[in-house]
Amino acid sequence: MRFRSIALRLPAAVLTAALAMGCSSTTSTSQSASSATAGGVIKIGIDLPLSGADASTGIPTRNGAVLAVEQANGKGLPGAFKLVAYDLDDAVQGTHDPAQGATNTKTFISDPAVLAMVGPFNSNVAKAEIPLTNDAELVQISPSNTNTGLTVGDAAAKLRTSHPDVNSYFRVCTTDDRQGSAGAQFARKFGFSKAFIVDDNETYGKGLADVFEAQFKALGGTVLGHEHLTKGQQDFKALLTKAQSLGPDLVFYGGTTATGGGLLRKQMADAGMQSVAYMGGDGISDQEFLTTAGDQANGSYFTVAAPETSKLPSAKVFIADYEKRWNSPVGAYSANAYAAASIEIAAIEQAIKADGGKMPARADVLKFVAATANFPSPIGKIGFDRDGDTTAPILSLYKVSGGKAQFVEQINLKS
Amino acid sequence: MEIFFQQVVNGLSLGGIYALIALGYTMVYGIIELINFAHGDVYTLGTFFSLAILSAIGVSGEVHGPALIGIVALAVLSAMLLCGVTGVLIERLAYRRLRNAPRLAPLITAIGMSFILENVMQLWRGPSPVPFPQVIPNPSASFGGVVVSAKQVLVVGLAVVMMAALQVFIYNTKLGKAMRATAQDRDAAQLMGININTTIALTFLIGSALAGAAGFVSGVYYGTTWFFNGFEAGLKAFTAAVLGGIGNVAGAMLGGFLIGLVEAVATQYIPGGAQWSNVVVFSVLVLVLIFRPSGLLGESLPEKV
Repeated sequence: MRFRSIALRLPAAVLTAALAMGCSSTTSTSQSASSATAGGVIKIGIDLPLSGADASTGIPTRNGAVLAVEQANGKGLPGAFKLVAYDLDDAVQGTHDPAQGATNTKTFISDPAVLAMVGPFNSNVAKAEIPLTNDAELVQISPSNTNTGLTVGDAAAKLRTSHPDVNSYFRVCTTDDRQGSAGAQFARKFGFSKAFIVDDNETYGKGLADVFEAQFKALGGTVLGHEHLTKGQQDFKALLTKAQSLGPDLVFYGGTTATGGGLLRKQMADAGMQSVAYMGGDGISDQEFLTTAGDQANGSYFTVAAPETSKLPSAKVFIADYEKRWNSPVGAYSANAYAAASIEIAAIEQAIKADGGKMPARADVLKFVAATANFPSPIGKIGFDRDGDTTAPILSLYKVSGGKAQFVEQINLKS
Repeated sequence: MEIFFQQVVNGLSLGGIYALIALGYTMVYGIIELINFAHGDVYTLGTFFSLAILSAIGVSGEVHGPALIGIVALAVLSAMLLCGVTGVLIERLAYRRLRNAPRLAPLITAIGMSFILENVMQLWRGPSPVPFPQVIPNPSASFGGVVVSAKQVLVVGLAVVMMAALQVFIYNTKLGKAMRATAQDRDAAQLMGININTTIALTFLIGSALAGAAGFVSGVYYGTTWFFNGFEAGLKAFTAAVLGGIGNVAGAMLGGFLIGLVEAVATQYIPGGAQWSNVVVFSVLVLVLIFRPSGLLGESLPEKV
């Protein structure tokens, strides 16, 4: 067993090491061409899960960022620079992996042409990456991380190891304390009073579930139990029997589809809980959830830490462009990734101008990203506060019916 | 008390799947002392094979009446056949040449084989979970508040029938005798005129066919599958085989059911139990091995080196 777990990681590590070597050899040429003079290549690193169960959300997100890069190239950059979207997959054996995310980040950092980074998708991956980007002062904008501790408080301070006074990490979506509390508010509003909470014990899932629990109690609801799943678990019948014996009217799940969100919902029917409502965060806002849970998906709710794009006038153009470019519908976080990349591109352009048309330094790009305010994007006007969080926290609630996710309502939690 | 019995039902049906997989581990170990790490993936392959057969004959939902028996039989038997053939091929291509090599070589080869199968399945059906058609209608009956569904009966029933058939085969047929002889002393068996290669291939055929059956059952039971399923299930099944006494067929079955039961009961009665169930399972394993190093039903054999 021990052999196996080592062996599982080994090929991936070798592969990425080989990749990293391959990259550094190619970039050493582009570096010499672009280090001093204009007209070189600037890369935007994109780190997302692009294979495995996470791919169904990861790929549409990547596509959003790539679209922003392509459009910027179409318009042309000052100093005749060309942008390249440089994407790496942080999924290993089918699920997002913090160690792989860190390896990818190191690959970006070792490439001098990478001036900014989009990603990661998952909060636990971000935890592994932030100390690295902080050290390199490489700006990083996540389209989807919602864990509160990534930006605020002691937890965030601990991640800024090399430069405690510098923040290299930003995000365009809002946080779990807001998502969890929005979920609890919606749940109470729809009349649920007895919740059984399950989470996947990951940074994102547990964070979300904890906030939901606290807020649900604060709003007068009862929490009957709070259980954690183990990685790779497939059979939830025992857990659901336990839940059912307590008689909840809502099961809240903190986690992603890949870590069990879909199967849990599916098996609720087998445990005699088909009439009990199910709610989760944006981790189950993917096609995968609908496929895995099948008919059982109907009647479940989830929140997304972003505005519903179709409701925003500013998103219409983006959706049209996206569908034209990729021939597929927009994912839950495509617009966020597009916004993240656009903010970085705008900062790179400003930095090129400030440096008189030369290849800008990473710290300059970071400075301009941090100063972002009222940036027009498909998800509304974006600005960053001191911690790197968005100043426009809008959340949406969806309900699955007829096998499709239907928008219910959205709230702005700006306090 | 109802809840306890409900958890027993949950545990037995989970254990049934572990048990079916554990049989293959234990048979292969018994005969060539190889921990066949690819076995869990052969089980996943079983789900994919039965899925392919079901979609080939155009079944995508519940089937009723006599057609149901025919379709289930067809899917189970073809999954068993295809997995059996895969198992034999794996043995022929990867393990046979290493039969007299140091122990570590076939072990590493088995891990490599597992990677190959996982990646072939990933290429075949993609990296995401694949829905499995709900072929079998799932009526459930309540016995004093304890709900038992048809699928749970199927899982447990199939596991018990398969084990019984295997037991009969091993102890009452000539081929079974040959298998036991090969397991005991390969060289002596060969001197007595037993074709070692055929016997070992047969072991792989049967073990992998059982994994194929488990694959179909788990597809029906859980309604989804994905290429990486075999890892976790294989690990638990391997544990079941060790718990019951590796090399012992009845032990594998006992171990499988026991692990399923411990998992379900621990989930219910330990606060935050879902998270701790694996810890409890492996603690039980450790405790059993301290007092019975060769497993619950394992016989203490003279040390073979």
